[in-house]
Amino acid sequence: MKLFVWRCLAASSLLIAALAATAETRPQYGSTLRVAMHATPTSLDPADATQPDSFARRSLTMLTFDTLVTIDENGRLTSSLATSCQATEGNQHWQIRLRHGVKFHDGTPLTAEAVVASLRAANPSWKVSADGDSVIIELESADPELPAELALPRNAIVKRINGGQASGTGPFHVSDWQPGKKLILAAEEMYWRGRPFFDVIEIEMGKSERDQMIALESGRADLVELGAEQVHRVSLEGRRLASSSPVELLALVFAREVQSPDERLLRDALALSLDRGSIRSVLLQGAGQPAGGLLPTWISGYEFVFPVEADLPQARREREQAQNAAAWTLGYDSNDSLARLIAERITLNAKDAGLSLRLTPAATSDVRLMRIALTSVDPWIALANVAGAMGVAVTNRGGSVQGGSIEDLYAAEQAVLATQRVIPLVHLPASYAASPSLKNWTVRPDGSLNLADAWIGSGKP
Amino acid sequence: MIRRKLLAVFALTICISVATVAGLVLALTRGAFEKNEDARTAALLAQFQREFNRQGDEIVRRLQPIAASEQATRMATALDRSPSDAAGYFDLARSLAENYQLDFLEFVDGRGIIISSAQSPAKFGYPENAFDNLATADQQQAFLKREEIQDSTALGLFAVRSVGSADRKVYAIGGRRLDRNFLSALDLPADMRALIYQNRGDQFMADSLLDPSAGKATDAAHPPEKFAPLIDAVLRYKQEMTGVIQWSSNRAEDEIFHAIPLHGFAKSGQETDGQNKDGPLLGILLIGHSRQSYVELKSRIGASALLVGGGGIVLAILFSSWVAARVTRPVEQLARAAQEVAEGKWDTRVEARGNDELSQLAESFNRMTTELLEQKERLVQAERVAAWRELARRLAHELKNPLFPLQLTVENLMRARTQSPQQFDEMFHESSRTLLAEIANLKAIIGRFSEFSKMPHPRLQPVKLNDLLGGVAKLYQAQFEARGRPPIACKLELAEHLDPIMADPELLHRAISNLVLNAMDAMLNGGTVTLRSRSDYSKAIIEVTDTGSGLTRAECERIFTPYYTSKQHGTGLGLPIVQSVVSDHGGRITVQSQPGQGTTFVIELPRNIEPQSQSATVVGGAQNGS
Repeated sequence: MKLFVWRCLAASSLLIAALAATAETRPQYGSTLRVAMHATPTSLDPADATQPDSFARRSLTMLTFDTLVTIDENGRLTSSLATSCQATEGNQHWQIRLRHGVKFHDGTPLTAEAVVASLRAANPSWKVSADGDSVIIELESADPELPAELALPRNAIVKRINGGQASGTGPFHVSDWQPGKKLILAAEEMYWRGRPFFDVIEIEMGKSERDQMIALESGRADLVELGAEQVHRVSLEGRRLASSSPVELLALVFAREVQSPDERLLRDALALSLDRGSIRSVLLQGAGQPAGGLLPTWISGYEFVFPVEADLPQARREREQAQNAAAWTLGYDSNDSLARLIAERITLNAKDAGLSLRLTPAATSDVRLMRIALTSVDPWIALANVAGAMGVAVTNRGGSVQGGSIEDLYAAEQAVLATQRVIPLVHLPASYAASPSLKNWTVRPDGSLNLADAWIGSGKP
Repeated sequence: MIRRKLLAVFALTICISVATVAGLVLALTRGAFEKNEDARTAALLAQFQREFNRQGDEIVRRLQPIAASEQATRMATALDRSPSDAAGYFDLARSLAENYQLDFLEFVDGRGIIISSAQSPAKFGYPENAFDNLATADQQQAFLKREEIQDSTALGLFAVRSVGSADRKVYAIGGRRLDRNFLSALDLPADMRALIYQNRGDQFMADSLLDPSAGKATDAAHPPEKFAPLIDAVLRYKQEMTGVIQWSSNRAEDEIFHAIPLHGFAKSGQETDGQNKDGPLLGILLIGHSRQSYVELKSRIGASALLVGGGGIVLAILFSSWVAARVTRPVEQLARAAQEVAEGKWDTRVEARGNDELSQLAESFNRMTTELLEQKERLVQAERVAAWRELARRLAHELKNPLFPLQLTVENLMRARTQSPQQFDEMFHESSRTLLAEIANLKAIIGRFSEFSKMPHPRLQPVKLNDLLGGVAKLYQAQFEARGRPPIACKLELAEHLDPIMADPELLHRAISNLVLNAMDAMLNGGTVTLRSRSDYSKAIIEVTDTGSGLTRAECERIFTPYYTSKQHGTGLGLPIVQSVVSDHGGRITVQSQPGQGTTFVIELPRNIEPQSQSATVVGGAQNGS
């Protein structure tokens, strides 16, 4: 009898433990996710061009809106609100079939007309029309990358209601919005992909990286952004973190075209003087990849062909060849401590080559240290995006703006680099740290957070 | 005059005395201030050194636990095992500097390569150039060092301590900025201030000046460029110097600055007390003193000197007036008395009081005037006797001539009575005529003497001299042109504006007529008689000039003596009568003559005369006489 009782107790304990373990690995509905971020967007409209692009903004967009096409974790295009994208007439005429049964947060169904209105607002140059439950996009020139373009957050489908409010079809709807300060999202019960696990997501904005880490360590936040230089330390501390592939280019961008042969030599000398390896290994603590090109290897496939090693003797020779060497001002984002450090290092490298750079936090400068987030995993779109940030147009060898072979892409990137308007430094990933209780969260290839399937667990890994 | 001179001498003496005393006081004050400033500068410098050492000790006190910290030791151990793993520690210095409140902190390896830098985090991998051998700086006191920061440099107090005990040494170089806070920690007197200039080159740079008072409202009035000459001089000669900074035209705002060179750590690694003069010149300590109190005191002394000087001058005027009056009054009395004596008041006397030299002089003067008076009396007496003798001689001479014919005539009558009575009647009649003629002659002589003695007193009335002279010329015009004698011209040279004088016109007319008649007698061969009138401040002057034979010097001297004459038939009373008239008018007559060149009689008459006021003075002599 006694033995039986002991056996029952043991079996009960094992059963309870097994149930508990099962409960920990199984998605749980409810709870609130607390996110802290540095960005301070004042509008949630994805097509609002006045708002700077950032990974945080992309994440917010993808929480409340859906695109017609989306990119999976492997960087491949998959259907979202569109069930199919068919191109005719040499990729100039596209027919997009819409998914049935999708509703905006205000309860109205997703229609072709709503999609047309949304796309027209985001792309005024496009000729878009509704055809039953399909949307027809007619382009002026062939664009095989249109599906990738449609996957961009700025092309998310938005229903703009009178008063400027934007309603989407995403997994969460806006519950409370204090522009630039705080956003509270509530789970959309009737989300077409199924209700998300969180009931609420509270997003605190305008938090420095330090404050975010303090919030995470003190349990006031479940998910925070990480600076690239923090990744190594945070990983050593055993925290849960996730990074995207390098999707951000850190580069020196000159404010104007090359004005003289001397300036060409000086810009070349500056590029040769940069010790990208030290910047990556010390200042970035091993994060990111030294960049010789504009696009990272995982997007272009050839970035390794661009030299990244410093060549100080050659830099000095080119500096000496230049007759006139005026001192340049090097601008940086005064709110970005990492940018300040990297800028200081650049001035030291430049000094080694005999160049004079003076740091300035002012908005205008001769050369500026910029972070350029790659908007797309599509190389042409990404290249156009990077070149556009510095005012350079991209064309392939055929003369079209986008599309072409890898050779065309290389030639187009080489052409942009030949302008010497930009000196690539490092490609950085988007990184996040989370509390141990946050489960099943991922980072999309474009650097945005994927929280649609995440939930809050007990805290055990 | 002497009083003014005495006054000037007194005033000058007092001014010089006051100026000398003021100058002496100013010099002593300046010396005292300079001594005080030197003492205060030395005290402040000592205070600066103490603060320097205190801050240095504080840096060492903070650096030692950093060097001994677990993080630093772990880093040193890790780098000893794998020197290439330095990247993970690049931020260590910044966090430790924050924790231990150091402005500067660097970890460098044994070769001097920066592993981590708080002040320049991006400088990892670069060499720290301030040291040749860090081991020599280890465990030493704090020293000055210039730290290059992005786009600028800063001056700081540094110390070096080795980290851990691994074979591959790692050193912590920590420090604090030598900035306004450091200077503010100095306990400065109200009128002193301390600044630090960071040496960034061979030339003065305004932004290198650390001034704790910067940012105050007075900044605009104290442009740092004013320090340029002093700073440049110290940079050039690398030694302590002093200069006056003039902030404005107001001298009270001036400041004296002592510029003391601040040297850094010598690369050779000699033991230092924080100020190694073999080290590089990293900065200049400027200790300033306001000159306001000195200038104000100087101003007060100047004002006091002026006040004392002014008061002294006033007192000098009063005192010297009293003294001068006391001293000069007897002299002035003597001068006045001498003047009176010169004017003929021989009985003038001065008061002689006391027993000093001036009293003796006054008594001597009185004795002199007494003797002069007695001599004058004796002279007058002698002259009177001489005059009586002359008169007796003249009387005897004048009376002897008619008496002798009288005696002869009477004797002839007596002889004729006895010897030839028939001829007596004829003789009697002839002798009676002779006797009568001689008696008439005697009466004439007696009449002339009587006339001379009966010169009337002038009856004064306004007389226009020009009219008088014109009347005389007109009266004798006929005689000038008389037939049988060479013609005589008469010229009138009369002053245009000659005021009337108080005189007796008849006597003056008679006197001038006498002179004209004399002139006519002197020009037997014809000539020119010139009558002139003129005046000066106090006198009316009449001149009668002839072009006659002239007079000798001896004649000039005796010409006014009664009964003296150079003429055959003159009585010798004409010119004495002229002199008598002029004298009765309070004037004087002089004669200027040379033989063969004519004679000029000059009559000077007072313009306002009082009857019987003056006796005539006769001055005679040849023009070329001695």
